[in-house]
Amino acid sequence: MNEQLEQLKSKYKNTPLPDELDFVVKKAIKQSKKRHVGWMKNLVGVGAAAIILVTGINASPAFAKALSDVPLVGSLVKVLTFTELKVDEGTAKANIKVPAITNMENKTLEAALNNKYLEESKKLYSDFTAEMKELKKNGGGHTGVDSGYEVKTDNDQILAIGRYVVNTVGSSSTTFKYDTIDKKNQLLITLPSLFKENSYIRLISENIKEQMRHQMKADPDKTYWVDDKVNFESFEGIAKDQSFYINNDGKLVISFDKYEVAPGYMGVVEFIIPTHVIADALVSNVYIN
Amino acid sequence: MKKRFEKLLIDFITENKENMYCLAFSYVKNAENALDIVQDTIQKALSSSETLKSEGSIKSWFYRILVNTSIDFLRKQKRIQVVDDKTLEFHSPTGGDVYPDIDLEKALEELPHPYRTVIVLRYFEDLKIDEIAEVMNENISTVKTRLYQGLRKLRIKMSDEILEEVK
Repeated sequence: MNEQLEQLKSKYKNTPLPDELDFVVKKAIKQSKKRHVGWMKNLVGVGAAAIILVTGINASPAFAKALSDVPLVGSLVKVLTFTELKVDEGTAKANIKVPAITNMENKTLEAALNNKYLEESKKLYSDFTAEMKELKKNGGGHTGVDSGYEVKTDNDQILAIGRYVVNTVGSSSTTFKYDTIDKKNQLLITLPSLFKENSYIRLISENIKEQMRHQMKADPDKTYWVDDKVNFESFEGIAKDQSFYINNDGKLVISFDKYEVAPGYMGVVEFIIPTHVIADALVSNVYIN
Repeated sequence: MKKRFEKLLIDFITENKENMYCLAFSYVKNAENALDIVQDTIQKALSSSETLKSEGSIKSWFYRILVNTSIDFLRKQKRIQVVDDKTLEFHSPTGGDVYPDIDLEKALEELPHPYRTVIVLRYFEDLKIDEIAEVMNENISTVKTRLYQGLRKLRIKMSDEILEEVK
């Protein structure tokens, strides 16, 4: 064989072996031997548990009622954890927290939001169990889903709830969705509703590109897909209904999911839009100032 | 019959675990993911040992699972992979430049999977051309063409011995 290839081969053969290799190999062999009988039974058990949990939520108006009767602390709109769906099967893990909003005077909006949260969580859970089943059929593997919420802003005017979903299959992907509620007027705020017309899309997009360039210049470890550097899926602009919320300082925050505008290691990224950039396009300064 | 294959398979796995790891690592480039792939591959192999036709084909049958598991894993991280292809184009001038050896390793890493896989299996894992064809589910002449093109992309000087084989 030729010298160049010999060189490459010796490099390849000298890949450092981790100490865990023996253990991983032995474990995989052992699990495969055991698995032949066990998993079908397990799966039936998990399915049954899931049905009980989900129907529990649906069929218990008393439980739902109990939540809305939580003693009034002032008359503040509150977010609390409605329920948690958990599975821990060794290589398959799910942890889904479902938020619920209480004490809103606008009951229609409250119900609509809570229903949406519950529906999305149930969907996540059923997708997860389907995937787990599929993986087991194909001989196992890791999978996981972790979902919950963060209260981003809670002041007199605004309540902003961010719900995240982290999917772990090999690598992980994260998505964030926000709902921003006007507590005084009991309204759900959408991004287009903040502005007089569509010019905000361009204003915000340009500002974000500028921030991306600036951040990359200041810190070489940061990367955004902007200015066609890698000529695929370069960031062109935000969506009309891009994920956003309003922070405690009354600033508009635009959020991008993992992989949306930057490589995975950057995670979920957020940009605070300086108010002067969008001032002319805003309907009013009530929320953003 | 099935039991006997299973026993053979476990022996094969135990003897070749280092090779398996090196191959997986050559795709994913980190220990944690390489271990995951080794584990997945063993489980897939043992749970489908009934598809193994004869004793003699264990090697290529097993490598096939390993290669497919690795490529599947990379496909899930596709967005990162796409960058790699672009970088590849950028780094592969069509002129007659000779790569300095430091870059040879990098060039190999950046070769598209079908080319890299044949080179790794042929020269590092010492599989025969017909075994590689089985692993990749391609015919023998495709494997030869890829091997030749792959070596050319790496600007490896091909001796008569190598040329003889890929012709």
